[in-house]
Amino acid sequence: MKKFNREVGKKGEEIAAKYLQGKGYKIHERNYSTKFGEIDLIVSKNNILSFVEVKLKKGEDFGTPEEMIGKNKRAQVERMANLYLTAKPGISEEYNSFLIDAVCIVLDEDNSIRRISYYENIGF
Amino acid sequence: MLTKVLSAAHFGLEATPIEVEVNVFKKGFPGFSIIGLPNKSIEEAKERVKTALINTGIDFPNLKIVVNLAPADIPKEGSLYDLPIAVGILASIEVVNLPAEKSFFYGELSLDGGLRHTKGVFLLALAGKSLKIKNLFVPNDSANEASVISGINVYPVRSLQDLINHLNGIVRIEKLKYCLSTGRSGRSIDSQSIEFDFSEIIGQESAKRAMTIAAAGGHNIFMQGTPGAGKTMLARATAGILPPLNEEEALEVTKIYSLTGNIPPGEGLIKTRPFRTAHHTTSRIGLIGGGSIPHPGEISLSHNGVLFLDEFPEFSRATLEALRQPMEDGRVSIIRIAGSITFPASFMLIAAANPCPCGYLGDPKRECKCTPRMVMKYQAKLSGPLMDRIDLHINVPAVDVDKLITNPTSSRRGGTSRDAVENSRQIREQVIKAREIQNKRFRGLQIYINANMKNKHIKDFCVIDLQSLLLLKQAVNTYNLSARTYFRLIKVSQTIADLSESKKILPAHVAEALQYRIRSGD
Repeated sequence: MKKFNREVGKKGEEIAAKYLQGKGYKIHERNYSTKFGEIDLIVSKNNILSFVEVKLKKGEDFGTPEEMIGKNKRAQVERMANLYLTAKPGISEEYNSFLIDAVCIVLDEDNSIRRISYYENIGF
Repeated sequence: MLTKVLSAAHFGLEATPIEVEVNVFKKGFPGFSIIGLPNKSIEEAKERVKTALINTGIDFPNLKIVVNLAPADIPKEGSLYDLPIAVGILASIEVVNLPAEKSFFYGELSLDGGLRHTKGVFLLALAGKSLKIKNLFVPNDSANEASVISGINVYPVRSLQDLINHLNGIVRIEKLKYCLSTGRSGRSIDSQSIEFDFSEIIGQESAKRAMTIAAAGGHNIFMQGTPGAGKTMLARATAGILPPLNEEEALEVTKIYSLTGNIPPGEGLIKTRPFRTAHHTTSRIGLIGGGSIPHPGEISLSHNGVLFLDEFPEFSRATLEALRQPMEDGRVSIIRIAGSITFPASFMLIAAANPCPCGYLGDPKRECKCTPRMVMKYQAKLSGPLMDRIDLHINVPAVDVDKLITNPTSSRRGGTSRDAVENSRQIREQVIKAREIQNKRFRGLQIYINANMKNKHIKDFCVIDLQSLLLLKQAVNTYNLSARTYFRLIKVSQTIADLSESKKILPAHVAEALQYRIRSGD
């Protein structure tokens, strides 16, 4: 099960990365992970650095992916983002604004994409 | 960028200036925090401000925003900080330029970017004047309260968009003219619907006369009578014979009403004399005032007006006894950890009670079913010191059936020589005349009615002839009256003299006053 989750996560990240690249974002990191946790994607566009949380769900019968991102998840991403910025001072110098974003993906039974939604600045 | 916007916090009837410091950071994670001891209603300002700005068409900055309400050690409450916070954010992101002169911003935002009626604008204007603030930006609905104060520019703000245009010099908001008689409706007692007219009350001539005296001199009155005799009706009809507030009185009342948010939107100065009723389950704090941040109670809300307590003995004893000190002083000091606040509470008390639990003690036709013990217990609720503070005590007996049948509308009085019963309008004119005499007498003394005279004022103002003095002396000796009752008797006599437009207190006036004195043992 654990292994399966990771696979799903990886797949979500790929879809999200492709989607964001299509929107003109530059990808900095994929699945940046430390022993404290991980950030799915770190991207940038227009001098804004975004930390992206990706959620993928197969069908919406057991709740939407949006529901899965709560206050705790946002706080965790922010904590990780701060860690990342401390670890790479160069990047924090380069950018002024930092956002926490989310990409929610819903797949159909046959693994085709039913919908994909991008939320900017969910940390607020 | 850091901007500072001035606003105010209310503590009792005083407004303290509050500096709303807004910093929009250039760097960092987006966030919005308010510090400086805000309560829940200010915490929620975040959502109101954010939504109002977005709905006004402003790009809300995705940046870290910190709002500090300084001085940070005063607890703050209310929704009035919405506007200063919004203006602070707008100035920080350089959408508007703040005025160079000192200005107060004040008001609650609606989600659509409009401004809502906010309580306390009158007090804000008073504070602004004493602090030499030049401009006042307040919600349009509340602006009339502020226009009563001279020497300050009052800008009625309808919406954030209007304010942005004004501050940027695109479209100016027209400032309100100073005007004492503001209020959109301009309503007065005449246009206001009064529940009962005195002419509708059948019989009860002596009670009506006592009510007239009470209203003329602001004396406390206690009515005792059988159920259905018309005590409540008499009290409610009294609302229609109260004189309008004079200017100083109106300012005092408006202060309290502004603090509690009792001024309807669009109204300015309160000119109708307050008439408040409190149910007998009212708590002591509800009546006297209190709370961790002290708020005025019913006695302060009826300042310069009437407080009607029906079913007087049904109130809890603690509540009634708490009335004693404010009745004497005309104000009430509420002391809490947050500080001590004095609210004015110079009210005229109308109290109504049955003589016993069943209500028919002393009724000529119906038998009282109460045991003596029950009657004693009932009457013991009203303590001596409390009753001593009430100037007029009257009995309201049941109305004669003949009178009711012959004269259901009571346009005439059955069996007596006088034709028409006086209606409220006529009585009110008498009362107004008597009050004018009193206002002239106490000019500059911060007293408006005979009931509020201190003993030294009685010496200064009341002219009693020798015969009346003798009568008074006799009464004191035969009835064993207390010193307080003695002075209260003189005050009532003075009011009766004022009603008959006599310069001196004559024996007839004293004799009438004696009728209304406290009766024990009947």
